[in-house]
Amino acid sequence: MALLEVKNLDVRFAVRGGDLTALRGISFSLDKGERLGLVGESGAGKSVAAFSILNLIAQPGYIAGGQILFEGKDLAAMSERELRKIRGNRIAMIFQDPMMTLNPVLTIGTQMVEAIKAHRRISTKDARAIAVDKLRKVQIPSPEKRLDQYPHELSGGMRQRVIIAIALLLDPEIIIADEPTTALDVTIQAEIMALLLDLCEQENVALMLITHDLGVVSQVSQRMLVMYSGRIIEQGPTREIINDAQHPYTQGLINALPQMGEPGARLFQIPGAMPSLKNVPSGCPFNPRCSFATDECRRTMPEYVRAGNVDVACYEVERLIAQEQQAREVTP
Amino acid sequence: MMTATVSRWARVRDSFLWYSFKRDKVAIASFIVLLAMVLSAIFAPLLAPTDPYDLALIDIMNSELPPVGMSGADGAFPLGTDAQGRDMLSTILYGTRVSLMIGFGAVILQAALGIMFGLLAGYLGGRVDAILMRIADVQLSFSTLMVAIIVGAVFKASFGSLMFGEIAIYMLIFIIGVAEWPQIARTVRASVLAEKKKEYVDAAKVMGFRTNRIMFRHILPNTLSPIFVIGTVQIANAIISEAALSFLGLGMPETQPSLGSLIKSGFDYIQSGSWWITLLPGLVLVVLVLVINLLGDWLRDVMNPRLYKG
Amino acid sequence: MLAFLVQRISQAFLVMFVISMIAFAIQDGLGDPLQELVGMSVSLEERDAIREDMGLNDPIYVQYARFAGNALQGDLGISYFYGKPTLQVIAEHLPATLELVIGASLIILVFSVPIGVYAAIRPQAFLSKFFMSISTVGISIPVFLTAIVLIQLFSIGVTIELFPTETGWGTWLNGALSTDGGLPSYGRGDELTHLFGTWTSGFFSWDGLWHLVLPCVSLASIMLPLFIRLIRAEMMEVLQSDYIRYARAKGLSSGRINFLHALKNTMLPVITVGGVQLGIMVAYTILTETVFQWPGMGLMFLEAITRSDIPLIVAYLMVVGLVFVITNTIVDLIYGLVNPTVKLTGKKA
Repeated sequence: MALLEVKNLDVRFAVRGGDLTALRGISFSLDKGERLGLVGESGAGKSVAAFSILNLIAQPGYIAGGQILFEGKDLAAMSERELRKIRGNRIAMIFQDPMMTLNPVLTIGTQMVEAIKAHRRISTKDARAIAVDKLRKVQIPSPEKRLDQYPHELSGGMRQRVIIAIALLLDPEIIIADEPTTALDVTIQAEIMALLLDLCEQENVALMLITHDLGVVSQVSQRMLVMYSGRIIEQGPTREIINDAQHPYTQGLINALPQMGEPGARLFQIPGAMPSLKNVPSGCPFNPRCSFATDECRRTMPEYVRAGNVDVACYEVERLIAQEQQAREVTP
Repeated sequence: MMTATVSRWARVRDSFLWYSFKRDKVAIASFIVLLAMVLSAIFAPLLAPTDPYDLALIDIMNSELPPVGMSGADGAFPLGTDAQGRDMLSTILYGTRVSLMIGFGAVILQAALGIMFGLLAGYLGGRVDAILMRIADVQLSFSTLMVAIIVGAVFKASFGSLMFGEIAIYMLIFIIGVAEWPQIARTVRASVLAEKKKEYVDAAKVMGFRTNRIMFRHILPNTLSPIFVIGTVQIANAIISEAALSFLGLGMPETQPSLGSLIKSGFDYIQSGSWWITLLPGLVLVVLVLVINLLGDWLRDVMNPRLYKG
Repeated sequence: MLAFLVQRISQAFLVMFVISMIAFAIQDGLGDPLQELVGMSVSLEERDAIREDMGLNDPIYVQYARFAGNALQGDLGISYFYGKPTLQVIAEHLPATLELVIGASLIILVFSVPIGVYAAIRPQAFLSKFFMSISTVGISIPVFLTAIVLIQLFSIGVTIELFPTETGWGTWLNGALSTDGGLPSYGRGDELTHLFGTWTSGFFSWDGLWHLVLPCVSLASIMLPLFIRLIRAEMMEVLQSDYIRYARAKGLSSGRINFLHALKNTMLPVITVGGVQLGIMVAYTILTETVFQWPGMGLMFLEAITRSDIPLIVAYLMVVGLVFVITNTIVDLIYGLVNPTVKLTGKKA
């Protein structure tokens, strides 16, 4: 059994004049110690997906359907009280902007100790000892001193290290990291990512990494999901998708990487822009930007088909597979 | 060109305003009540049964009659009479008229001052900005009411009670207008600073327009909606300030009473059981201020302008 | 820290300087000290001599320097009416006003924080909407009117005879809607405790406290809605922030999130605004004291105006100016101490 299994998750935002669908039919699983990458443009619903796992979607968002099974128990149906025992304890989160994540008026020590004490019956002294130990693990110099400092006294990179340390405090099974390095200086992005990866490997923690950076995903994750306009359009082993993307959107993303272009030449660009939640086109949401789009694509949302080890939702891929099969049947 | 931009702005605003107005019951009710009060104040000389300013019409024998519905009431005085025998309905109608006049007058004055200083501070920046905003800060930290009371006290002491009473309306408009200008000046300055960053101001500069032309023809129309919101709330504040000053005896004299001075003169009789002399004008004052505040809240929600916070 | 202190204090001195100039201008423009001293019977020559003697013919800046020098030594002239040094008169009236402000502040603190926080945490709850509507109405009622209504209800009392008394229900409703009154609405009462010097207090006797109730509630009524709205707005903004969501992601209890993480961040701006509002309350004490004949500084000031007691008016102006400047400076300093992100160098980190 998978550690975490999300089945057919629907998330909506209740706004004036009806609901907006933010996530539609999201299904994926995460095994123990596995590293999963979640890719897409901003606005594709990556963060909403991350937050909905712990039922932390901001108002007026709500889970409209589906299941989030953690060790077989449905988080979407859990009471706030039961959820609280899992948040931070079994599943920890790392937020995007370390400048905004830590409470500005509480010391690092307070914010670490309270996280431990929320889940363990333990003395403050012991809790501080754990905190110092974890701060050392994330390579923060003189950790004892940091405990009495306020967040604004640390640099952005240091703060993100503190947040990683807080995520590790209670030895969780899963860490969900929502673009953990985007808000940092480019020079320390790689450093923080390497640290996170290292620690997850050491402690055998499953990592769900949300990012828009295909390069990072290809280095870090074993499997990946590609999201577009609130849907997963392709998921499977990272290597297979990077080497041979099936969905036209994923192909576009990969071709747009600077590494793919000739030096000095113009970079590839997918024409158009992702639709906003308010006017998602009918059928496949990517159809207005897709050069393979047919009337069918404009009418109905494609089901997932399997190509190798990859699940992909695209009629064009379906047609290609059918053609291949025909060819195979014709020439046995 | 000026008319074109203004009317386009007005058209957009009108349509959206009207749309949200139709959907908001509180706003509609407040507007109807306010309209009724303003109209009855304007037409007070026609509507009022008697002229409270005309001493010949007052009979002291009619003093302290209760409103209709209580024992001892006289049908000729539906809301009773005050201690001098004046008809309460008439004095309240005339009092509302005086209060509204001062409220609107003071806001027009403070808007003129506020817009002028706000534009100067925001557009010129530097030392002018620093000095003007320092003055505004200090004045606000002293509270507008305190400033108004002190200015009123000084005026009253220098003019003497009698003289002060005669020109009280203009004095109050002046005092309240001067005491409250920083509110509008800060708002204008904040929106000017925001507007200044936009390209059309640069474009106007490049085209060689003069500074005051840019300020008044280009920036000002774009800062009107926050002024409008603040101005609405400020009318309510001005009416309250006027009532407070009059209650302290620094405002309208009893011979030409506003709602505030009606409350003041009635307060002496509350212990003898004649509650209506003070509480009826009080009720009218509260309703007047409340509907203006509710309209102000609604306007703020609709226009959502860059209000100066803090 | 030192730079911050120096900056704030020099600013305070600048404001006091401006206030003293205004006060001096009022004294110079309105007061004719001669009139008070010598009356009508003195000849013009003698007047001129006295004028010269008193330095009234000196250049204006010399006169101002003398005024400011005296003020710094605690000499703001003699009250025409009381015939005593103005500062002494003010000192005698200060405790009553201070007591009023303290009582009202306590009421505001006790009610605004819980109500504001509740309205922010449960914005859709019936009680929240009820409190918010009440506070909108509250803002629209001038403080002296609240005071009058309170006097009518709780001092004079109201007898309701609206419902027919044939039925038990009618009698009960009439009784339930009527109020007894009986709370004092005049002055501070007789049983005041002497603390030290001229300093008296009503906080230590039932009679004194009894007299404080209506004035304090009236004074609090004007600020309470403002504070409730302010706390609610700030708290709602804080609750939207990332660090609150992060605190939830850590699995903290909602109590700790609301009352430690959110409330501490909410109180920072509330302290600044609140401190300034506390100063503004001094203006409202004038109104409250007038209604309740409360023998404090506000009533004294109003009486000084009607008596054209110019030295007392000027002294009041200086003292109130000083109170405003001191509260504002203290609020700035407290803010700097409470907020760890202000490094007390005058700049936000």
